[in-house]
Formats: sequence, C-alpha cells, structure tokens
Amino acid sequence: MMIPAAGPVAASSQQNTQDPADTTAEAPPKQVATAMERLSRAARLIADVRIGADRLLEALFLAAESPYQSNKSIQLVLKEESAMRKHFQDLRSLGKQLEDSGVLNGSVKLRGNSWGLHMPLVCPDGAVVAYAWKRQLAGQAGASAVDRTRLALKAFTDQKRRFFPHLEDEAFTQCSEGELGVAKKPCFSHGLLPGHKDELREERTLPDIINSLQCIAPDIKIYTYQRLDWLKRASSLSSLPSDHLVDSSNEYGLQSSSNSTSVLGNAASISEDQVAVIELLSPSVFRAVVSLHPTGSMSPDAVAFFSTDEGGSYVHARGRSVFHVFWHVTEYADKALQYFQSTNVDTSLSLILRWICSYQTLFTKVCSKCERLLMMDESLALILPPVHRAYQNTSASNSHPNQLTASDRGHGSDFIFAYHIGCSNNDL
Amino acid sequence: MTVKWLMHWQPKPGTTLSTQILTEACQCVESIGGQKDGRWRSVLTFYKPMQRDALVPVDHPRDFLGLALQEQPAKYYFILRPNRIVLEADASIQVIMEKLQSYKARVTLNFEGFQYKLGDFQLRVGKCVPSASEALRGIMMEVEYIPLSSIDKSRQVLEEFFDIWQETISKKSLPGHFMHIESNFADYGLQDRYTSHHTAVQYATCMAQLIAAVRC
Repeated sequence: MMIPAAGPVAASSQQNTQDPADTTAEAPPKQVATAMERLSRAARLIADVRIGADRLLEALFLAAESPYQSNKSIQLVLKEESAMRKHFQDLRSLGKQLEDSGVLNGSVKLRGNSWGLHMPLVCPDGAVVAYAWKRQLAGQAGASAVDRTRLALKAFTDQKRRFFPHLEDEAFTQCSEGELGVAKKPCFSHGLLPGHKDELREERTLPDIINSLQCIAPDIKIYTYQRLDWLKRASSLSSLPSDHLVDSSNEYGLQSSSNSTSVLGNAASISEDQVAVIELLSPSVFRAVVSLHPTGSMSPDAVAFFSTDEGGSYVHARGRSVFHVFWHVTEYADKALQYFQSTNVDTSLSLILRWICSYQTLFTKVCSKCERLLMMDESLALILPPVHRAYQNTSASNSHPNQLTASDRGHGSDFIFAYHIGCSNNDL
Repeated sequence: MTVKWLMHWQPKPGTTLSTQILTEACQCVESIGGQKDGRWRSVLTFYKPMQRDALVPVDHPRDFLGLALQEQPAKYYFILRPNRIVLEADASIQVIMEKLQSYKARVTLNFEGFQYKLGDFQLRVGKCVPSASEALRGIMMEVEYIPLSSIDKSRQVLEEFFDIWQETISKKSLPGHFMHIESNFADYGLQDRYTSHHTAVQYATCMAQLIAAVRC
C-alpha cells in the first residue's frame, strides 16, 4: 500500500471517533473530510507499526549478537510489543469506523444517501482519492502519482529519443525499461536475426541490405525515398480509391516508378546518400516506414507501422496509425529499435529491417505462448493478434527445427517467436 | 473497404425467435468490451417480375434481390443468385424501377439494430423484420475487421473472433447459435479485396438460410 511520507492532518480538531452514527447526519463534504482524516491516521498507524516491527527486529538482532545483554533486549521487545498491540488496536477500531462510513466498501452507495458524491476511494493500486470521478477527469484509468510519473518519464524518453538520438546508450535503455515497469523479456530468436555478426558485417551498404532482405523475405517490397518524396507519396496514398483497386501490387509498382525510387537494389534513380525513408510493404498486411538520420546514413532513428489502406500526411516514421493493432506494433518497434541501436550501431539498420519483415505473419502466426491468434487484452480492452516479436538475440542461438510449425517453414527463415502483449511478460 | 463477415441466428429446431435473443446478444457484445456506436439499417427487397399478360410465359429471373446498405447511401445493389450476378447501381435506380413497372417488390426486409466498436473490430447486431408486419424473422450480425481489406489475409482473424464470439454467447444458453456461411465470391467474379459487392453476396447467401429456418 502506498504510504504518504507525512500524512496530511486535517486542520479541524480530533473528530469524535467513537460514533459512526454521526456520519449519516453529516453532509457529504464533511463525511469526505472525516474519512480522509481517518485514512491519513490509518496511514500513520501503519507507519508506526512498520517502525515497531523494525525495532523488534533490531532487538532480536541485538539479542543474537550479544547474548549477555539479553536483559536489555528483552525489555526492548516487551516495550515494543505493547506499543504494537496498541497500534493494532487503534488500527482495528479505525478500520471499523472507515468500514461503517462506507469508505472501504460500497455501503454508502447502497444506502443511497450519498447526495451524488462518492466516498473516498482506496483504489486497487493503493492511491487514495477524495472523489472517484476525479480519476476519470484526469483522463487516465489510474491517475495516481505513480502513473503520472510513469507517463512523464515515457514522454521524456520519447522526446529525448527524437531530438537527441546520439545520446542513446545501453545504460539508459536498460534503466528506462526497468523504471517503466513494462520490461518485456522476449525469447531467443533465430533466422531473421542472424546468430553470426559476420553475416551482418558483410552488408556494408544500403543496396546490400536490401538485396539480402529480398532473399530472406521475398514477399515484402522495399522502396527508398528522399524525405520530401515520401511525404508526397504518403499524401497520395489516401487518394487511391479503395473500391476500384483490382490488383494492388500493380498499383504500387506504378506509383514507385513515378516517384523515382529505387526498387529491389536498382539504385540508379536516387543515389544512396539521398535516401532518408525506407518503406517496407507487405501487401495487404502492413506498411512500415523507417526514417534514416542523417540522410544517406545507415542509422535508423524511427519506425512506424500502418495498415496498407492508410494514407495521408500522418503516414511517416513518427506517425501513429489509426488502428490499435498497428499502433501497438509501432510502440513495440520503438523498443526494438532502441535495443538494436544500443547493442550494435553498425548493424542496427539491417537488424531492424529484418525484424520488421517478421511481421508479415502478424495476422496468421499464433502466439508462441498461448497458441492462439486473437487474445482479449484485459487492461486495454482490445482484442489483438500477437503484436510482439522477439528481438533479443543470443550469440549461441541455433534454429530448432522441431519447434517449427509448417507455416514457419513455409516462410523461409521466419523463426521469430510471436507473443500477445499479455503473454510476453511471463516468458523466460 | 474492410473485411466483413455476416452471421445469422440459427434457432434450434422447434424453438421460436424472440427479441430476448437479440438483447442477450447485445449484452454479450458489451460484456466483451464493445462500445455502442449508433444504429444501423439495411433494406433487402425481393422482387418479382410483373406480368402484364398472364398467358405469355415469363423468362425474367425469379430470384432477384435488391439491397440498400447503410455504408453506401448513394448505391443500390442487385443480386441474381441463380445466375451468380452482383451489380452495383446508383440509388436512383429504385425510382426508375418504379416508373418502369417491370418488377414489383414482393417482400421488403428491414435489418436494423445497433452498431458497436470493439478496438479494431466493428460489430453490428440487429433483427430482421419485414416492413409489412412486426414479426421477427431473424437475427443478424455483421463483424468487420477494419485494418485489413484482403479476405484471404483476414480469414484467420475473423475465424478466431467467431470462435471467441461463439464461446461468449454459448454461456447464455440460448436456444440456437450464430452461423457464418462461406460465400463463394469467385463465382460472382469478385476479387480478394473486400468491397460492398461482397457484402451484397453474403446477404443473398444468408437469405436462403434465413428463409429456410423461418417460414416466410
């Protein structure tokens, strides 16, 4: 339970603590104030209990260390014991009062004299709020200090990543994962993420990377763009009439050639040092946009996923898909990108592109943990397919043929495990 | 266009339909997290050819359906099941048909109910009521998975959703179950990319079942 460091004490004098019948006659704001004050007293008592327990332990420790001072420790123990007993009694009576006034249960609501206000709530995460509806007003399901801090940290790391990508280092990424408390520990991956760094070192240029990707994931189309060209293309995507597209792959082929992009290693139209955006298109499944910074380099700085039907100026590497499934994949992709950048900057582009290709099975591959495709995520109240793909690699990873399903073999080297959001928390 | 599956309620033989089932279905949707999003309405019309001269044999198609969909207010769809034809026309065709008097509306069915949003899914649950009477003829559901528009790629997702839905609704122990019938879109010359034509075909396929289940 969350204990405030110094419980706020009501300015009013001590209430009459022995008369729960009082509460029914008082107006709600006074009930609320009384209840808040009682809760803070309860918090103080609990703190006292904790201190008492510490003292008891200290006394026992003392007794263990110096047996000839046992008398002194006995006295300490006895003193603490009576103090603790008193604390517990106080706590018990306070708890009873709180219960009677309906704070710890819903009895006020049942009695129907709440005058439209709800009694102070002790929420499941331990936060205490005066009015339940305040949490809804805060706009979050859990608007406690813990959640606000978590959100602030996330906003800070997002902005830091965006404006100061060169300040990223391993210590920070590990630290932020722990603090955010949402550290996902993905399982080992094979195939698309090569176990041998040598394989990746051979891919020195962008065309090399694209060529090797074509071999690994032949169903995925890869296009490169200059930054402005991508914005034009993104806006034009929305103007494609959806009902009249008969053969979508043809459309994209036409579009790309008119935008002077390089397709499949044909780097004649734009030179390597002008490439700022890489598009990976898995027809009818997803479109991923990767941004390179600085232009012409091989360091990715952002990635985002979208539906193939989405179009408009928001479709870029820092954009947000309107669909929940792609938005969650994008969020997870941010973490993967951070991980790749922190472990080996030189190969991060190759790694992230290969990892993106593993999502071609987003709507067909079942979760490696629960073996289902769709899962209702209780905290998000959404039904989602497995949106997480493992990205951590171990140097000793080998592919285990007996773990592959038939669909895995069909996709070539797509051995990466997929997880639902809820499932990936508990593996390893 | 996003991929949609149509499901209709198949009552247990010997039991009757009731609006209770509809209410229970709506509650089920809300229990899995659906947010009510508005109402929906589609109108399906059975046409029969008008015979000026009773003696002359008629070679007009018999099973001729017209469908007005809420998501395409400017269009009207015709389905000829025996000939496997589906056609999209402007909504004003209905006026033209009335003027021509070559076909008369035999029965008009109204599908109406509520629309729910459940993350990336959109659900519609409604009843099928003839315009002439108030009798309940059937209960229909539409499930749409918005991020995808390829029928092939979305098949597994919709199948699993259908399983989840069946599990949820079976807890209510209602007399009957929802059924999804696979329509053969290729027969009608339709592609893998989902369109309102596909919806029209699914309605036509459903009608045969619905009529068999409840005597019209």
